[in-house]
Amino acid sequence: MSLSLYYFVNLTAVHILMTWSLYLPYRLRRLHFMVIANMGIAAYAAGYLTTVAGWPFGTILPLGALLGATTALLIVPVTADAPPFTVAIVGLTLISLTTLLIENSEIFGGTLGLFGIPSIHRDPSAGRLLLLAVTWLCGLAVAAGIAVFERSRWGIAASIAFVDRDLAESNAVNVRQLSFFVQLAGSTIAGIAGVLYAFTMRGLFPGFFSFRYLGVLMTILFVGGYTTPWGPFLVAPLVWGIPLLLPEGLQSWRIVLYAVALIAVLMLRPEGLVTRDLLRRITALLRRPQKSP
Amino acid sequence: MRPEPVLAISGLVVHHGGVRALESIDITANSGEIVVLLGANGAGKSTLIETIIGLNVPRSGSIRFHGEEISGMAPDTIVRRGVAVVPEGRGVFSSMTVRDNLLLGAVPGDERSHRLASILRRFPVLSERSSQLAGTLSGGEARILVVARALMSNPGLILLDEPSIGLAPQILRSLFDLVVSLAEEGFTILMAEQNAYQALRIAHRGYVLERGRVVHRGSAADLRDDPRIAEAYLGASR
Amino acid sequence: MTTLIAQLVNGVSLGSVYILLVTGFNLVLLVARVVHISYPHTVVLSMYAAWYGMSLADNSITAGVLAAVFTGILVNAVMAPIFARFSHRGVQADINSTMVVSLAIGLAIVELLSHGFNNGFPVSFSGFFRAGGTTFGTDVLHLSVAHLLALILSVGLTASLFFLLYRSAWGRRARAVAEDALGAAIAGVPVALTQRYSFLIGGTLAGVSAIILAALLGFASSTLADLVAIKALAVSIIAGLGHLVGGIAIALALGILEALAQGYLGGTWANAVALVVLLVVLLLRPKGLFGSRL
Repeated sequence: MSLSLYYFVNLTAVHILMTWSLYLPYRLRRLHFMVIANMGIAAYAAGYLTTVAGWPFGTILPLGALLGATTALLIVPVTADAPPFTVAIVGLTLISLTTLLIENSEIFGGTLGLFGIPSIHRDPSAGRLLLLAVTWLCGLAVAAGIAVFERSRWGIAASIAFVDRDLAESNAVNVRQLSFFVQLAGSTIAGIAGVLYAFTMRGLFPGFFSFRYLGVLMTILFVGGYTTPWGPFLVAPLVWGIPLLLPEGLQSWRIVLYAVALIAVLMLRPEGLVTRDLLRRITALLRRPQKSP
Repeated sequence: MRPEPVLAISGLVVHHGGVRALESIDITANSGEIVVLLGANGAGKSTLIETIIGLNVPRSGSIRFHGEEISGMAPDTIVRRGVAVVPEGRGVFSSMTVRDNLLLGAVPGDERSHRLASILRRFPVLSERSSQLAGTLSGGEARILVVARALMSNPGLILLDEPSIGLAPQILRSLFDLVVSLAEEGFTILMAEQNAYQALRIAHRGYVLERGRVVHRGSAADLRDDPRIAEAYLGASR
Repeated sequence: MTTLIAQLVNGVSLGSVYILLVTGFNLVLLVARVVHISYPHTVVLSMYAAWYGMSLADNSITAGVLAAVFTGILVNAVMAPIFARFSHRGVQADINSTMVVSLAIGLAIVELLSHGFNNGFPVSFSGFFRAGGTTFGTDVLHLSVAHLLALILSVGLTASLFFLLYRSAWGRRARAVAEDALGAAIAGVPVALTQRYSFLIGGTLAGVSAIILAALLGFASSTLADLVAIKALAVSIIAGLGHLVGGIAIALALGILEALAQGYLGGTWANAVALVVLLVVLLLRPKGLFGSRL
């Protein structure tokens, strides 16, 4: 496998994970931007622990999840029940604060970045394949978790609460508890994604964990469709890949392209390209009995 | 030759939240008439009022005001054409003074102070409270304020949406007396009302709506005397 | 003591800019029901426009001011119909959609500033904007032209806005739309037009804020946009979304806090302190200190 294909495939998986980390809280209309900060903290922790303390990948990966969950527990008890705008601004503030602290910390390499994250295997080529497998396995595990959630009572409750919170609460749904759970889950997934990102890139810049990356994820989520996890899954390779095919001069303007795409989709097809209705119709089409010859 | 109706609705179909809220509605109101819309909750009375004032866009049909098609126009355009609405509920802007509430009525700038003085003379209770915040008014005073604000634009048609809700009987009687006097002055009134007994007492004609359709129509006297109407809408309210 | 007074003066000046930012943001929020996250980005874009205007016109201050104000108004005028798509006849449809759209616009603006001006490098202001200098001074108090400009413009514009809101026909309509857009529409208020004017007034405030910031800071950069945005937005929430007077008080408090931290801790840590304080207050009072008007 070529290096560029490896990076594309693995980073796509990371972006899908990160978009799902936003997707879950948005099931209750909360833009839990904090996940970018969770990703950054986990990535830098992974980078530091492996380069300085020599910790292995196998230990750091679950630690990333724990880190995501732990930092979320400081914030989510409040944001679980906070107005949507507050949740968004808390997230943006945390992103700025995290970036600022990393940029001014020598131990994390400051503005120059943190480098030298080793491969997860002695043989770099084997390490890449192994990491690819682990990344997509994590993706599968998260996808399975989301599928279970969507089919559960909580998933149905989230769908009701998205439309009418009062209606959900009058049907004995504890919306605050549900919101707490999805935000915590989002942060945990972001922690995992951060570790996977660190070991994929093997070098970190604080500027990556910024509003720009948020723009990429928002584009995947809203263009793909925020009503089903399939949207981000199908659209992430396109959103990430298409700008790579552009001429170099245009590539540096890809955020503007993302912004235009995001606005256009919100205006023309607000639920995104892949909607629950579309999935239902595709499922029905696939289930239609075949006519006998 | 009969004069043209002030309001003429024909073949009106309105969809609301994916449901057919109004079906083939034909209603007219003539100058100086009080026309009442009767029906239970969910019959479509308020939906019809909201459609006339431009909050809903009809799927088909027409709404003509003095012969001009107004369906599809923005609410403020319809109000400037001469249609005013007294909405259900308080309808006042609580954080603004009585005076500011009145001045919101669609009036050309040069006539504003003259019209305001005239309205305050007509409604002394508002004159006394002109600097008070509208949120401090009682339910009845608030309803008077909304009617007065509607009158600021000197409308050709006044729509009243459930004016009796939340009002004490004595206040309601005063309000309905006001409605009668407005009609006598030449204003055309279309009133959606659940209190059928009180409404038919002052109305000239009426329409009964059920599940978005007009099921009965006629003069107020005919509707009062109709045993089906009496059983369905007048029995409990006598 | 000298440091304290100097930083208090800086703080009040900086707070004055935040006041204009938050007031413009709150105006659009209250009247147009739009969470205009990219409003501070418009301010920084206007700063760049001022720099560009001055560079074309031989450092003419008039050109810079006109360019900044014109850009603020134009950008908001262009955004207004985009946001209008997310409300039905002026009544708010979805606050999250307006947030996401304005976030996207903000990202596009930052990208434009990163690539489209001065090869991505920060721009600096010269001449009048770097006057610094002392208008009058004692042993303890020094006021520069920039400080005076910030104070006078901020007080003047904010007072003018309040006058407009409480003494004019448009202001009456705007307050009615802010309280109940649907009720205002059926009372005959041209809601969409009223909302569009709020964008234009907000744009004017953005342009003037840009001039003051240019005078106080002497430079503009793409990273400045995000930092200013976070602070202005956090101030809005802490005060209570749409609370005009509360926003003024908290904006001033933030400016003073930031300046004091700057004086005693240094640039980067001043920002960190401001962000931490904002975060803590947000978490303690997520619905705002003075109550939300949304």
